[in-house]
Amino acid sequence: MSLFFQQLINGISLGSVYGLVALGLTLVFGVLRIPNFSHGALYMVGAYVTYFSLTSFGLPYIVAIAISAVVLAGMGVVLERLVFHPLRDMPHTHAMIGSIGVLLFLTSGAQLLFGADFRRLKSPLEGSISLFGIGINQQRLLVIVTSLVVMAGLYLFLKKTVPGQTIEAIEQDRVGASLVGIDANRVSMMTFAISAALAAVAASLVAPINLISPTMGDVVNLKAFAIIILGGMGSVPGAIIGGFALALAETFGSTYVSSDFGELVGFLFLVVVLAIRPSGLFSKGV
Amino acid sequence: MSNRVFRVALGVIVLVLMSGLAVACGGGGGSGDGGSGKQTVNIGYSGPLSGPAALYGENALNGVKLAVDEINKNGGVDVDGTATEFKIEALDDKYLPNEAATNARRLAQQSETPVVFVPHSGGIFAVQGFNAKPPTEFILAAYSSVPEILEADNPNTIMIPPRFDNYMEPFVKTEMDKFGKKLGLIPTKSEYGIQWTKQVTAEWEKQGGEVLKNNGVDYTSTTDYASPVTQALNEDPDVLFVGGPSQPTALVIEEARKRGFEGGFIVMDQAKFEEMETFTDKKNLNGSVGVFPTIDYPGPGTDQFVKYYEEKIGGERPPTSEVALNYQAMHIIAQAMADAGSVDDPKAIMEAVDGAAGEIKDEYRPYGIDGMTDDGHLNGPVIATQVEDGKYTELKVPQDQ
Repeated sequence: MSLFFQQLINGISLGSVYGLVALGLTLVFGVLRIPNFSHGALYMVGAYVTYFSLTSFGLPYIVAIAISAVVLAGMGVVLERLVFHPLRDMPHTHAMIGSIGVLLFLTSGAQLLFGADFRRLKSPLEGSISLFGIGINQQRLLVIVTSLVVMAGLYLFLKKTVPGQTIEAIEQDRVGASLVGIDANRVSMMTFAISAALAAVAASLVAPINLISPTMGDVVNLKAFAIIILGGMGSVPGAIIGGFALALAETFGSTYVSSDFGELVGFLFLVVVLAIRPSGLFSKGV
Repeated sequence: MSNRVFRVALGVIVLVLMSGLAVACGGGGGSGDGGSGKQTVNIGYSGPLSGPAALYGENALNGVKLAVDEINKNGGVDVDGTATEFKIEALDDKYLPNEAATNARRLAQQSETPVVFVPHSGGIFAVQGFNAKPPTEFILAAYSSVPEILEADNPNTIMIPPRFDNYMEPFVKTEMDKFGKKLGLIPTKSEYGIQWTKQVTAEWEKQGGEVLKNNGVDYTSTTDYASPVTQALNEDPDVLFVGGPSQPTALVIEEARKRGFEGGFIVMDQAKFEEMETFTDKKNLNGSVGVFPTIDYPGPGTDQFVKYYEEKIGGERPPTSEVALNYQAMHIIAQAMADAGSVDDPKAIMEAVDGAAGEIKDEYRPYGIDGMTDDGHLNGPVIATQVEDGKYTELKVPQDQ
C-alpha cells in the first residue's frame, strides 16, 4: 500500500508539471489555432533563466521562478510579433513550420550559448516530510502546490477578469469578438505571454528533480501534445485532466505492468482516443 | 482542412516526431593536401554533437582534438620522410546508427579520411558493414565497450575502451560479498544498457544471487526518476544496478539514498564517478563499484594529460575516460601510420598498431594500454574502482587473453 501512495504522489507531481505545460499549449491553440511546436523549447529556456537567476545572481528560488516567468512572457510576445503575427493570414502549415523553426533555433542556440552540459538546480527544499506514514520530498510538494495555485489563478483569470474573458471570447468566435471591439492582436500577444510563462514555471519547478540541458524540452513537448490531443485541443480542463491522466497512467503502468508499458501507455491512449473520439475527450466542438 | 482531419493529422505528426525528435546540424568539407615533404591528413569523426548525448560526443571529440593539436604543434609525425599533420573533420550523427554510416561514408569518400572515430555501438555496427570492403576501405576507431564489436571479425576496427564484460565478475563479486544477494535493476534502456543488463543479470545469477524485476527507464527521456526508484526499492534489494549518462545516474543514486537505500551500487561504465560527484553528494556514492576516475587513474601519463586537458579545455568539466582514451588512441594511430610508412593503407596501419601502442611516449598515455589483441582491441591492465568512505580504491579487472 505504501508503494501505491508513493507512486500516487510521484504521479500527481509529474501530472501537475505536464498539466502546466499542456495548458500553455492548449491556450495558444485555442486562440490562434497554431500547434506551437516550440513550446518545449520555451520550457527549456525557462529552466535556464531560473538556473542563472539562482546561480549568477543568487536570488531566492521563488523569485527566480517569477523572473523566469516574466522573461519568458516577454519572449512569448516577441515570438508572436516576429514569427506568428506575420503568418496569421497564411495557411496553417506556415505557422506550424515557423514554430518548428523556432524550436530548432532555440535548441541549437541554447547549446551554443550554454554548451551541451547538463546542469543541476539545487532545490532549497532538500528535506522530506512524513505524511500518513510515507515520506514525501518537499520539492515534490512544492511542485504540486505551486502548480495547483497557478492553475487556479489561471482559471480565475480566464473566467473572472475582462482580459481573461477576451481570450475566451476570441477562442469561441474570432469574428464576433472583433465585432464587439476586442483587439485580437492584443489577445494574441497576451496568450503567448501566458503560455510561455506557464512553460517557464513548469520547467523551473521540475528542474530540481531533473536535469537542465538544451534538449530537456523535447520529451515534455511531445507529451504535452499527446495531452492536448487527448483532452481536446483548446480545452483548458482537458489539458489539466489530461496531464494528470497521462502522468498517473505512466506511473502506475510502469509500477504494476512493466516499465516498457509505462512509456507506451500514454501513446496507446492517444491512438485509442484518436480512433474513437478524434476531437478529444473535452473538446467544445470547435 | 476540416478540423477533424487536421487533428488526426496532427496526432500522426506527433507520433512520428516521437520516434526521433532531433535537431539537425552539421558541417564539414576539407581537403588533404600533399606538398613536398609536408602533408595534412584528415581524420574523421562521427558522433552525437547535438541532442541529449551531445556532451558525450563532445568529450570523445575533444580527446581526438587534444591529440591532434599536440601532434601538429610538434610538427607532425614522420611518415616515410614526409612530415604529416592532421586535421579533424567532425560530423554530427545525433547518436543514430544510420546517420553514422552516412557520415562515415561521406568522410571516407569526400574528405578521404583514412580513419573515422565513432563513439557509439550502434554507429560502429553500422560502419562495420562496409569499412573493410572496396572501394573505400578505412579504419574504424570504435569507442564503445560492447564486446560484440570484436566478434564482427572486422579487420579494420580498433576497439578503444576496455570491454565491459570484463567488469562483470569483479563488480558482482565485490558487491555481493559486501551487501547481499538481492540485485535490483534500474539501468538506462539504450541498446547498450540492455546488453549490460543481460550480462550483469547472468553473472549475478551465476554467482548465486537473486535478480529482481527490471525497472529500467530511458535515462535521456525520463522526466522523473522517482517512480522507477520507488518501484525498485519496494522489492528491498541489497544492491542496485544503475547507469546511463553520468548526470542522470547521479540523480537516480541520490533518489535511492533519499528514500533510505543503504546498499551498494553497480554502476555501468558509461557513468563516471568524477562527473557524478559534481551532481550529488559524494557520500551517496559510497559502496559503489564502477570505472576508475580518470583524474586519479594510475596510468603512466595521467598527470600530464590532466594538466594538458585543464590548460586546453578546463572549465567545469573534469576529463573523463572518453577524452583520455580517444586521446591516447589518436596518438597510437598516428604512431602506427609512422611505423607503417603509410597514411592510407589500412592493412599496413592496422598491423602497426600493436607495436605503436607500446611505443608512444609515456606522457601520451593516461591509460595503461600497451598493445592490441589479434581481434583489434587496445589492451592493457584495467583498473576499476570501489568507493569506500569517499575514497576510490582500486579494483582489479581481468584482461583480454
